Amino acid sequence: MSPPKSDAQVAFDKYVVPELEVLYRTARSLTRNTADAEDLVQDTLLRAFRAIERFDGRYPRAWLMTIMRNANINRVRKKTPDLLDDPEMTFERSVDFAETEGPEETVVEPVFDSVVTAAFATLSPDFRQVVELVDLNALSYQEAADVIGVPVGTVMSRLHRARKRIRERIGEEGLESSGAFRAGEPS
Amino acid sequence: MMRMFRRRKGMSCDQVMEVLQSYLDGETDTETARNVASHLDVCDDCGPESSVYVNIKKSLAAQREDVDPEILETLRNFTDRMVRGEID
Ligand SMILES: [Zn+2]
Repeated sequence: MSPPKSDAQVAFDKYVVPELEVLYRTARSLTRNTADAEDLVQDTLLRAFRAIERFDGRYPRAWLMTIMRNANINRVRKKTPDLLDDPEMTFERSVDFAETEGPEETVVEPVFDSVVTAAFATLSPDFRQVVELVDLNALSYQEAADVIGVPVGTVMSRLHRARKRIRERIGEEGLESSGAFRAGEPS
Repeated sequence: MMRMFRRRKGMSCDQVMEVLQSYLDGETDTETARNVASHLDVCDDCGPESSVYVNIKKSLAAQREDVDPEILETLRNFTDRMVRGEID
């Protein structure tokens, strides 16, 4: 038999535990490495637990994203700055990403997808990061802003410009209408 | 005044293009969303343009990597131990 849960435990179960997967995905976007991502999530959890009694219960994900940003700043400070923006690391990661299989849903239009993937991989790191947070990890603009530590307007302008770049590549390949019959698209 | 103008004449293509991305991300207010949707239904330029972006978003979302269930399990265990005070 386990002892009754404290208020903090109850709040943590309610607000934080359901966000574990999102936290991990976001950490992976920030760290670009699975071991660091796990450390970052654990650090975020520790900080969140220390702060849970002062949390008012509104927008738990945005609250967690702010905590993760602070934890990440701390983590980055401990590392050699050079290593972080090493273009080769970035490149490796893009390749990994491109080779990863998506969910089981049928890829109806492989050419369209491969152009999108290639265009995504060539975006600058700042642009790729917002696309990853919003389009792949389904964060809101505000949540993405909180975790990166920039105003919402910056998230919007980076994201919208990034998508325009991808859209231009689609146009250059003449693929505008080729995605039109993707699964799930209302006919 | 602006609001009355919009309501009567609907949104222009430029206005729609300006908010299209936010609209597709569900980040506009409901009134704007409604106005954009009704413009997209009838506009031969914005409608197809919007579809291209929808497909780009779908394509990107399909690239989302699965999270290793073992990692989630590790994080859940970590959380359990932490809330029981076994980690500081
Ligand atoms: Zn139009």
